[in-house]
This record gives sequence, structure tokens and C-alpha cells, in this order.
Amino acid sequence: MLGVMLIAPCVLIFCAVIVYPLVSAVYLSLFNIFTPTLQGNFVGLQNYAELFAGEEFWRSLLNTLIWTVCTLFLQVVLGVAAALMLHQAIVFRALARSLILFPYFVSTVVAVLVWRWLFNDLYGILNHLMMWSGLLQMPLDWLGSMPNAMVSIVLVGAWKYFPFVVIAILARLQTIPDQLYEAATIDGAGAWSRFTDVTLPQLKDVLMVVVLLRAIWDFKEFDLIYLMTGGGPLIATQTLPLMVYKEAFGLDAMGRATAVAVAMMAVMLVFMVLYLRRMGKEEAR
Amino acid sequence: MSAAGVTFTRVRKAFGEAVAVKGLDLAIRPGEFVSLLGPSGCGKTTTLRMLAGLEFPTSGEIMIGDRVVNDVAPGKRDIAMVFQSYALYPHMTVGENIAYPLKKQGMAKAERATQVARIAAMLKLEALLDRKPRQLSGGQQQRVALGRALVRSPKVFLLDEPLSNLDAKLRAHMRAELIELHRTLGRTFVYVTHDQLEAMTMSDRIAVMEGGELRQFAPPREVYDRPANLFVAGFIGTPPMNTLPGGFTDGTFSHPAITARFTVTGAPARVVLGVRPEDVLIGQGPHRATVRVVEPTGHETIVMLDAGGSPLTARAPAEASLNPGDAVSFALRAEKLHLFDAESQARLDARAVTLGESE
Repeated sequence: MLGVMLIAPCVLIFCAVIVYPLVSAVYLSLFNIFTPTLQGNFVGLQNYAELFAGEEFWRSLLNTLIWTVCTLFLQVVLGVAAALMLHQAIVFRALARSLILFPYFVSTVVAVLVWRWLFNDLYGILNHLMMWSGLLQMPLDWLGSMPNAMVSIVLVGAWKYFPFVVIAILARLQTIPDQLYEAATIDGAGAWSRFTDVTLPQLKDVLMVVVLLRAIWDFKEFDLIYLMTGGGPLIATQTLPLMVYKEAFGLDAMGRATAVAVAMMAVMLVFMVLYLRRMGKEEAR
Repeated sequence: MSAAGVTFTRVRKAFGEAVAVKGLDLAIRPGEFVSLLGPSGCGKTTTLRMLAGLEFPTSGEIMIGDRVVNDVAPGKRDIAMVFQSYALYPHMTVGENIAYPLKKQGMAKAERATQVARIAAMLKLEALLDRKPRQLSGGQQQRVALGRALVRSPKVFLLDEPLSNLDAKLRAHMRAELIELHRTLGRTFVYVTHDQLEAMTMSDRIAVMEGGELRQFAPPREVYDRPANLFVAGFIGTPPMNTLPGGFTDGTFSHPAITARFTVTGAPARVVLGVRPEDVLIGQGPHRATVRVVEPTGHETIVMLDAGGSPLTARAPAEASLNPGDAVSFALRAEKLHLFDAESQARLDARAVTLGESE
């Protein structure tokens, strides 16, 4: 009895901040609700039926997956490469280590404004330089046409979030004992073997966590994409979070918006289950 | 392949301003077990790392067998090294760890398995081959590290304080195993330690180092019985050798508590008399001292005396009943006295002939 009382505050807070919003989101998705008044009538699974029958949801889901996979891949590759570089005794290492975190610290709004300026088709420096060097004959519309818009947000996403990977990987790299490398050297391993046989296996665990966290965050990324392209041209770069926002506040259909959000959660749940299974196996070993 | 000797010729290693090894000349014979012994910072580990190829000498030449290895990569030197921390690859099983050097040599998988089985049998690791290093005890990890070194059948084994992470009992056991292993393999072992007991028990010869210089290179018995200088005299032996500074005129050593006549040629005016605690015989004799501290250890008693103002340590039988403040007589074993030049700290070739009390 005492035990129940002692964990009660925890359980209550958990219910208030996790269970209630979750249940209420699922509940709302069963209604047809007009956002400004939050009034509406019960429609059952009609929101979901419309969603899955229409093209927009599937297009947005595909966009989300393309965005997540591409930008995450670039983040990891860039992040690991930068971490390895910063782990070496290069000149100005301390300075480089702080500078590389800069994109991660900059507010998304500021970063996006700068990038939009660089990408601008009329006066952007990117087009200017590419035409000056002869790579382009005509200015390119970086954000207003496809696939340029998707490429642009993927690149900016990679630029903005790869420092997170750098921090995590660098922290792990620093805990790998030097003697392991020395032992491998004496055992006849060259530089590449030392990387694949000593470094990479040690990075495996931290990479898994980083990939999972970044996958979740990239999957629900809103501000960067919304500010860069607004989901456009048309819905070519509209990801699921943008669709939720559009349904809720653009089209004033809160019920449909929550239905999208619930569907999104279901997709994330698949990732979660995969991850937990994987972790379970690791523990068991 | 058989054992190979190791030769250091005027090897010097500087890290910026700091000089770790100052012109080392050392010739290790094929199949010999040599310990590099000294306090931390004496250059012994740097010496071993240069031999391994993990550090490059600033100048001088290192040879393994008849090959100069200064510019040879560590993996191509035909050596194997056991690290203090074992440095096992944590994600590989015991079997994979042991097989790793063979894999890097490009040996076929089946052949690797045979070799690993051979080593596992030798080190009694068969039951552990599928475990990961973190599932092993310290002693087992130590064996795996040894196994990874043994599997290559290298010409020279390098061991960097391999026993210092083990508990005392296991260490004694592993010492015996290493001696056995060295005898069966007949390979050259270079063993770095700061533990004189390990060096004394296992080595054919001990290289005592201090401050980047070689102080003495001789068999354990000789290092103990005829230390080449005051450093070696004070470093080897527990408790260490007593050193009594005194004057020297006409072959007579004079100290407030002790005088002794020596046959010696060309001794300086200031000398240091060295005597091991076991060569100080309490009970009767021409010298007088006061007991300061009595430390019974069980099988013997360590007695610290005050002899004419100088501290003097003696080993007494366990049953000796002595108390602080007691006035005692003692004698010194004349044939076991050492004389050192107070200036150069070097050993003087001297023989004591008569001992007596000073006035």
C-alpha cells in the first residue's frame, strides 16, 4: 500500500503528460472538428478512410521518408568524418571543435534565412558562383522546383544537424584506449584495418543511439522544412508534420490533422519496436 | 624461426626538451629473459616501445637479430607485445582475439583455427574461446593477451608490466607460468617492470635503469651481490641496503659507529659503506647502536637502529626480543660489505679485512 502511494505521484504525472495527450489525440481523430471553435461531430474512422484513400497523405509520407533517410545518411557520414578528423591532433583543434558545433547552436529561423538568401535564384551567391565558374548557364531555382527543393532541404538539414553526430562520436572516440590501436599495430593492422577492426566496432553502440534519436527528430522535423520551402513547390517537399500543421491551421480541420498525427506516430512506433528488439538482443548477448 | 637477440646502440629518445632515454647501449642475447627494471620515469617503457616500433628513437640504432629495425613497421618486426591493460579487442571473442595477428598475416581460416586451438590448449583457454573479454576475470584476460602474443611465434616477446593489474596471489602464480613458458619456448623475452621481485625471480639478466640511463646490466644474483653503484644498491632489496657515508684514509673507513679496514687501491676521501640488512647481525659484535623501531613480519623482524647518528636497518630472527630504546651490540659480515665512491656513486673494488668500533 505504501509502495503504491510512493510511486503514485510518478504515475499521475506520467498519465497527465503522456497518456492523456495520447488518448485525447486518438479520440480527437475520430471527430470532424473545426479548429477555430473546436466544435465538431463524431465521424468514426472517416478521417482515416479519407486520409488513406487520398494521395496527399501517401505523398507526404514518402517525402518524410526521403527527407529522413537522405538527411540522416548525410548527417552520419559527415558527422563521423568530422569527428575522426577532430580526434586527430590537428592545428587549432580546440577552436575547430567549438566552431563545428556552430550550425547546431544557431537558431533554425536564422539559419534558414541565411540559407534562403544563399539559395535565392535571383541574387543568391550559390547561383552567382556556379554561373561565374561556368557550372551553370542559367540561374537555378533551388527552392521552387523539384528535385532541387528536396535536395536543398536535405543538404541544409545535414548541415544543421551533423554536429550532434560529431559530439556523440567524438565523445566515444576519446574513450577508446590508445593501447588497442598499439596492439593492433603490433598485430600487423594497417591504418584502414585499425579503423574497421578497432574504431568502428567501438562506435557501433553509440551510432545506433545517434541514428535512432536523429531518425525520430528528423522524422518529425517541422520548422526547418516549413521555413525553407513551406512544403512547396505545391506539396513536393511537404512532410507529415507540415501536413498536420496545414490541416489543423490552414484548413481548420483539427480532426483530420490529429488523424495524420496518429498515423505518423504509428510509423514511428515501427522504428521504436525495431530498436527495442535490437537493444533487447544486445542485452541478452 | 628461432629466437633473436636485440641490440640497442647509442639509442637516444627525446620528447621535445625531455630526454627519456640517454644513449642506451644494451645487447640482449637470443633466448634470454631480460627485465628492464627501474622506478617510473626511468625510460624502461620508452625503451620497450622503441623496440616495439611504437616510438621512434631520436638517434641510435635498434637491431633485432641482424636486422636494423629503426624503419621497420611494428607489424613486420616479428615481435609480439603484452600490454599492462591487456588491450584485448572488446568486440571480439577470445578465439578471434588470439587469431587476429594471424588474420592480419593473411593466414587461411582453417590454419588459424588449428593455431588458436594449439595456443588455447597450452594456456588452458579452450572453454573460454567463445567468450568476450569483458566476461573474463583479470587472470583469464591476461592469458588471452599472452595467447595473442604466443600465437605468432615471434622472435622476441615484449611484456610491459603484464602482471601489475593482477592480485598478489595470481601474480605469484603467473610468474611461475611465465618462467615455464620462457623455458619451453626458448624465445627472447624483454620484460618491463618496476617490481624487483618479478625481475629477480624471472630474469636471466636485469637491466636496471634510472633517469634514462642504464645503471647495471647483470644476472639477478650479481645485481644483488655486487651492485654497480649506489642507485642499484638502494633500489634492489627490501628493505634496501643500508648506506653509511664516511671518511676514508689509509684504507680505513671511519664512521661514528663503525670503522673498517679495506684492501683497496685508489679510493677517494669520501666513501659510502653499503651493508644489506641481513648482513647486520644483532647480538654481539664490536659496534653499538640504539633500537628505534621494531617491525615483526612473522618469519623475521625488521629492526631499525640508530648507529652513531645514522639509520641502520637489520633483519633479526622472529624470536628476537627487542624494544625501542634498547642498546644493542652488532656485527657486520665483513665479506658482504660494499664500498662506493661518494662522489661518482660507483662501486669500489674493495675487500674488508678487519672491523672495529670507532672511538
